Amino acid sequence: MSAVIKSLHPDEKVKAGKLGSSLSKAGLGIAVLFLGVSVVLTVLGSADTNSGHVSKWARFLHAYVIGWAFIFSICVGALFLVMLHHLARGRWSTVVRRIAEAVSCAFPIVFIAGLGFIIPLLAGYQDLYYWNHPDAADPGLNHHLLHKLGWLSPGFFAVRYVIYAVMFIGMAQYFAKKSREQDESGDPKISEKLRIVSGPAMILYAVATCMVAFDILMSMSPKWYSTIYGVNFWGSACVGGFATLALLVLGIQRTGRLTRSVNADHYHDIGKWMFAFTFFWAYTAFSQFMLQWYGNMPEETVWYKYRLFGEWQWVSIAMLVGFWAFPFVFLMSRWTKRIVPSLVFFAVWQLVFHWLDLYWNVMPSYDWLEVSNGAQTLNAGPLMGNVAYHHVGFAAVDVTVWFGLIGLLLVGIGRNLKGNLIPVKDPTLGLSLAHETM
Amino acid sequence: MANHDEHHESPASEPVSENGELYGVLAEYDTPGELIEAARKVRDAGYTEFDCFSPFPVHGIDEAMGIKRTILPLLVFGGGFAGACGGILLQWWCNAYNWPWNISGKPAWSIPANVPIAFETTILLAVFTSFFGMWILNKLPQVWHPFFRLERFGRVSDDAFLLGIEAKDARFDAEATPKLLKDAGALEVERCYFEADPARRTMPKWITALIVSSTAFALIPFAIAAKARNSHSSEPHIHIFPDMDFQPKFKADTASDLFADGRANRGHINGTIARGSLNADDLFYRGLERADGAAKWTQSFPKQLEVTEQLVKRGQNRFNIYCSPCHGFDGRGNGAIPQRVAASGGAWAARNLVAPPWEAGGHVIKMPNGQLFNTISNGYATMKGYAAQLPHADRWAIVLYIRALQRASNAAFDEVPTEQRENMPAVQAPTPAPAGGATPPAGGAAGSAGSAATTGSGATGVAP
Repeated sequence: MSAVIKSLHPDEKVKAGKLGSSLSKAGLGIAVLFLGVSVVLTVLGSADTNSGHVSKWARFLHAYVIGWAFIFSICVGALFLVMLHHLARGRWSTVVRRIAEAVSCAFPIVFIAGLGFIIPLLAGYQDLYYWNHPDAADPGLNHHLLHKLGWLSPGFFAVRYVIYAVMFIGMAQYFAKKSREQDESGDPKISEKLRIVSGPAMILYAVATCMVAFDILMSMSPKWYSTIYGVNFWGSACVGGFATLALLVLGIQRTGRLTRSVNADHYHDIGKWMFAFTFFWAYTAFSQFMLQWYGNMPEETVWYKYRLFGEWQWVSIAMLVGFWAFPFVFLMSRWTKRIVPSLVFFAVWQLVFHWLDLYWNVMPSYDWLEVSNGAQTLNAGPLMGNVAYHHVGFAAVDVTVWFGLIGLLLVGIGRNLKGNLIPVKDPTLGLSLAHETM
Repeated sequence: MANHDEHHESPASEPVSENGELYGVLAEYDTPGELIEAARKVRDAGYTEFDCFSPFPVHGIDEAMGIKRTILPLLVFGGGFAGACGGILLQWWCNAYNWPWNISGKPAWSIPANVPIAFETTILLAVFTSFFGMWILNKLPQVWHPFFRLERFGRVSDDAFLLGIEAKDARFDAEATPKLLKDAGALEVERCYFEADPARRTMPKWITALIVSSTAFALIPFAIAAKARNSHSSEPHIHIFPDMDFQPKFKADTASDLFADGRANRGHINGTIARGSLNADDLFYRGLERADGAAKWTQSFPKQLEVTEQLVKRGQNRFNIYCSPCHGFDGRGNGAIPQRVAASGGAWAARNLVAPPWEAGGHVIKMPNGQLFNTISNGYATMKGYAAQLPHADRWAIVLYIRALQRASNAAFDEVPTEQRENMPAVQAPTPAPAGGATPPAGGAAGSAGSAATTGSGATGVAP
């Protein structure tokens, strides 16, 4: 227990073997099943004209953006652990780093999946992003949106999407590739090199993550703005990333691999990160709310008006209690992070609420009144009353699309679970194996 | 270590020496790993009164020594919880209970506004509990320890990994214990004795006296404050800096013996005007017209300003900033402040600026332009003057916009330009006044109704 350095147990199973391909197959099955169901539901359904949409695909595509943001954010969270590990010369995380690398290497699949809403946008689809709707350019209706339309145009939007894809895929692949090189050579200089690279990479990562949040999520309600939005998204993303990591490692141990290398001390630290980001998310979410609530500027509060009144207020309260208060109080304890069933419970719980957070951010904008009405409400004077028409209106496709995209994420992760599941020649492996969490 | 030198040379092999009673033994190990192994052996041998010393925290030493988990986290949780409750209670007591203060009708008690302070007090008390709790649980500060008498112990903050067992341990044996430590891989085992002279084992009396007296001294300000809070005195204040408290100058609105009228305030000197303040044009600067020697409010509009749509828009912009908080965006007197007053149980409305002549407040529509201008400039009843915030031209622009609002509010449906009629809500009421923000109709019509109100009034702006 207390040796400062340990070596890998000779009987430890560290080879992925067929694990990756079975995970990929399972993921593909899930994706085909649930996306298929979603498409069928959408084709059989009809357009939701109450919310101002003419196309029946509007709900599907909104759910798709939420689901995409979910799988993207999990890769973002995993990449954070990889880069932070190198930047801070991490010790405890060496044994789980390869798995985080595998998750972050799912970026190519994630960005291919994203084409599912980028291509309709380029083809002129108007019912997803309000800024791509002809009304957005109406100076009478949206005079304070006009100057943003240069940035929020489908062409430029797609170009930025490609830039983000290149950045994230490039960073994730670089760290994973170098790490695998070290498996062969055992060269400690590779660790040094990665540490030097991870500093600038972390800056790029931060900027790119915020920009993706601004472009793909915040522009759903294009007149509203919040500068902390990207940071808040990132906090939520890291909760999802660490929860996924915990579940993946536990799942891999169930197959008999890594059973001697990863123990309660490592889970404890993963749980600590989940706990920390749970609070970080609440902190930034409240920072965003507090300033806009207190400032009481109609162009800012209008976004919260739709989320804190009517039926959406129950979702907001659920977020406060479910995504913050409950896990905060219970994850504080040492034992909830070390006992496997409890950690699994909270990981799944936080993943569901991470999705609900994205849903809460995006889905009110599905109601065209929310995004288009800002200007008129402003001119009409004080923002009071009249929020009864904002229905949450959970739809089956919201969930089936989400599950389908999780399937695609599993395909992406499975493709990268190959070779060693532990960086076997990493100089810090001995310390990581002997890690203790007080 | 003032009394160190005379004792440290005592031979390590003697269980009892003339230097005094044996305190314990101290063993040195080469690496943290060996220290952990030794600690485990000592623990397994049944010792309880022992401790490890190292230059840095050694992972795993707690488990090796058999130390129980600390209760500090529970204490910190309690501290943080008390901080959260205390922070909330403090704000509730100050803002909602002891001294509620109406700030433009905002609620005296609102949870979101209290969160940052409650957060800070939570952190503060949690950190205090953590910091001071750690000291207390570790029996710190410990200014003196018998091991300080050993020269070896000085290296514990540099490169030594030490394990000390106290002689008071039930299992301590002057021969067997050092042997156990030696067998566990110790580089060296040393004995440590208490100070031989009992008088020197206690803290010097002058230190005790210093601590007691300085503590008593530190309480004096609190005692004075407590006395002042609980007693009355007719004595004047003590002035420590009289020339700061009594400065040779007059403050505004105070009495003065220096001037014949007994006031410190001095008005303008008669017959003089400050540069740039001539403002000779009565109509533009004061809204007055002079006919036959008598001044009256003008019915016309200053010739300096051209009546254009742009000027109406300027008036709308200024009106929405300065006037709408009370008078409302539609001029009906039900702005944000009256709404807040109503929300906090009061009843007050600002003047309805657009009422038709036969209704209450209808005199505004009949006021000459000059009188409206004068009211904006100098205020009326509880309304303050806006001369300091609004240049003259802007005040005239507001007059113009009020005229446009009055015109729009009293227009018949037929007078609405045809292309704008479709934007208006279904009109059933006999007086087709556009709905303002105060009571928006249900459904999506709210926005378009408000929009029609503003664009309509702007576009139908008329010359005064």
